[in-house]
Amino acid sequence: MTDRRRINGPPGETIPPFFDDADRAPETAKGRFRPSNAIRKMFLKTGVTPSASGSAYLEISTSAKPGASGLKLSCSVHGPRSLPRSAPFSPHLVLTTHVKYAPFATRQRRGYLRDSSERDLSVHLETALRGAIIADRWPKSGVDIIVSILEGDQERETSRSQGDEVWEMMNALSGCITVAAAALADAGIDCVDTVAGGVAALVQDTDGDESQPSIVLDPVPSEHAKILAACCVAYLPTRDEVTNLWFRGDVPASDMELYNSLVEKGIQASRNANRVLVGCLTESVGEGDTS
Amino acid sequence: MASTQHHPSHVLLSPAELAYLHDSLLLVPPIRPDGRGPNDFRPLVAETGILPGANGSARICFADGTEAIAGVKAEVERTARRAGDDTVFLEEGGGEAGDEREEDGEDGEAGPGALGEASGRKGERKGEAAWVELTVEIPGVRDDDSGTVFVAAMLSEALLADGELVRRLWINRRFHWKLYIDIILISPPLSYPLPLLSLTTHLALLATRLPRLKSEGDEDPFFDDDWAAAPYLFPRSPSRGRPAARPPITLLVMAVGNNILFDPSKEELAVADVALAVSVTSGASQAGPGGNAADASGPSQRSLRLLSIRTIDPPSRLTPPGVANAANAAYGAANLNNLGSSAQQQKAAEARTAETEAVEGVWRAPRGGASRAVLAALVGKVLEKGGVVDEVLDALEAVDLG
Repeated sequence: MTDRRRINGPPGETIPPFFDDADRAPETAKGRFRPSNAIRKMFLKTGVTPSASGSAYLEISTSAKPGASGLKLSCSVHGPRSLPRSAPFSPHLVLTTHVKYAPFATRQRRGYLRDSSERDLSVHLETALRGAIIADRWPKSGVDIIVSILEGDQERETSRSQGDEVWEMMNALSGCITVAAAALADAGIDCVDTVAGGVAALVQDTDGDESQPSIVLDPVPSEHAKILAACCVAYLPTRDEVTNLWFRGDVPASDMELYNSLVEKGIQASRNANRVLVGCLTESVGEGDTS
Repeated sequence: MASTQHHPSHVLLSPAELAYLHDSLLLVPPIRPDGRGPNDFRPLVAETGILPGANGSARICFADGTEAIAGVKAEVERTARRAGDDTVFLEEGGGEAGDEREEDGEDGEAGPGALGEASGRKGERKGEAAWVELTVEIPGVRDDDSGTVFVAAMLSEALLADGELVRRLWINRRFHWKLYIDIILISPPLSYPLPLLSLTTHLALLATRLPRLKSEGDEDPFFDDDWAAAPYLFPRSPSRGRPAARPPITLLVMAVGNNILFDPSKEELAVADVALAVSVTSGASQAGPGGNAADASGPSQRSLRLLSIRTIDPPSRLTPPGVANAANAAYGAANLNNLGSSAQQQKAAEARTAETEAVEGVWRAPRGGASRAVLAALVGKVLEKGGVVDEVLDALEAVDLG
C-alpha cells in the first residue's frame, strides 16, 4: 500500500550527480577589466523607502565576468526619535547600526539571526558613522540605521574562492558606509561631512612568487589570484580625516611605505565613491526644489 | 541600548574632569593619571599551564585588578572534502605519503633547519579559518553583544591573518586539529579588555601542546599517549629553549593630539581622539633559516609583521560636553533680553562659537575622525624597531611555560 497523500521521495537511495569537469580549463583568475586606480561603477539613489525618515539604495556594477554579481545594498534610517523612557540619559544621539545579509545574499545561506560577522560589520559601520555625525545636537534621542545586503559581492559558480569571505566583508563594509551616509543625509541628520568607504588591496595576479604584488582599488577577489592585504577606509574628504580604518593582511613591519600607500589608495577609492555620493545628493536636492 | 551599558565610556567623569585629563595628556611629555610613561604597560602577573584539562592555558592579571583566563583545547576533526580540491589521495600510493610524513616529523622537532625545509612545502599544507574557534566571555555582557563579538573577531582575525596557526593544525590530508580557544575575563571589565585578552591568548597558545603523532601518511591519526613527549604547537628553538615562532599579539594604542599612549586605561580612553588596535607577530619565516644567528644577536633582530589594524570607537565621543560661559544661562546667556540689540547679537554670536569652536578648558566630545598623519604615526610607533612590541614580547618570553 503506497502512501498517496504525500509527495514522497524516491524509494531507494540516490547519488547526487557529480560532473567531471577535469577536461575544462582549470579555473583561473580572470583578470581585472578596469584600470587599477578605478573603482567599479555604482548607482546610488536616496529616498527609496517612504516610511523611513531617510533611506538609500546602492548598487555596484557586476564585474565583467559573468556569474559574478555586484553588491546591492539598501539602507533605512529611522529617527532621530526620543529614547524610550526606560533608557538612561544620553547627552548625545544614540546610534544603533544593524547590518544584515539577506538569507539569499551569499553562496551559503545566511540565517535570519545576525551571525558574528554581521555584528562585526555593524560595529565597524557604527565607528565609521559616529565620527561623521554631530551627535551632541540631539540629546536624549536615538537613531536606528539598518542596512540590508540584498545581494553579496560573490562569485556564484566556482569553489575556487575559498577564504575570500574576509575580503568580501571589506567590500561590503565600504558599501555599507557609503549607503548609510547617503541615507543619513536623506534623513537630514547633521554630519560634519559626507563619509564614504573605500577599499584598496595588495594583490598578486598570477600564482607563484615571481610576479610583483601591486595595489589596486576596489578589489574583486575573484579577479585576482591572491589578495595579500587589504584595507577599508571611511574618509571625510573636506576635513581630510579618517573615521574608520580596517586593515588586514600580512605585511612586513619594516615596510611602512607599503602600508601607507595602501591606506592612501583606500582613501582614493573613498574619494571616488564620495563623488558619486555627492552627485546623488545634489541631484535629489535639485528634485526637491523643482517639485 | 545594551551596548551603552557596559561601554567603557561610562566612567563617571564630569566634563571638567575630562577637560583636565585631556589637557594633561596633551602636555609634552604627557602626564598620565597613574604616572606611567607614554610607552609603559601596566604591570602584570602571568602564569601558564593552570588548567589541567586543557592543551594549553594561561592566566594574566593586570595590576588594576582585571584578570583573564584562556584555555586552548584541541580535537581531531575530519577535513571536509570539497569538489575541486585534489581529492585523489585515496588512490595514491603509500610510499610518497610516507616520505612526506618523515619530513613532518623533523618539522615537529623544529630544528632551525627543519623549519627552512618546511617553508618550502608550505603551500601544500593549507589550513582553513574554520579550524580555529575563538569565544570571549566578558562578565555582565551578553555573549552576542556587539562589543564582545567585535573583540572576538579582532582576536581571531589576528590569529588567522597570516595562516601560520592553521597551518600548524594540519595533521594529514584527511584530518586536522580543531582548536577551541576560550577566553574568560574573570574580573568586571575595568578597562577596554582587548590587550589583556590578547596577551592571555598569546601565552595560552605558547603553552599549548598537542599529542605526538605516531601514525604515518594519510591513515587515521594515532597518537603517542605519553604527554611528556607531546610537542608544543609553537615549537621552541633548541639553542635557547624558547619558541622560534610566536602567535600574534594585539596592542591598544591611542592618541591625544600628537601624543601617542600605549595600553590606555579606561579614564584615558574617555578622552582619546583616536584609538587603534594593532596586531603584530614576530616573523617565523625569517627566523627559521638563520635561526642561530637570530638567537645569538638577541630579540632586537626580531622581524615584525603587521597583521591587522582596527579602529576602536573611542568612548570619548559619548562623553557629556561641558558648557562654556558664553552659552551658560547662569553666566548671562539668559540676560540677552535685557541687553541692547547690538550687544544681543554679539552675545548670540558668542553662543554660536561656543557650539562650533573649542573653548579652552571646556570639554567637548571630539568630532570627525583622525588625520592621516596621526594614524600613520600611531602605526609607525607600534611597528618601531626595538619599540614597545619588542618590549612586550621580551617580557612574555620571560614567562615560564612549564
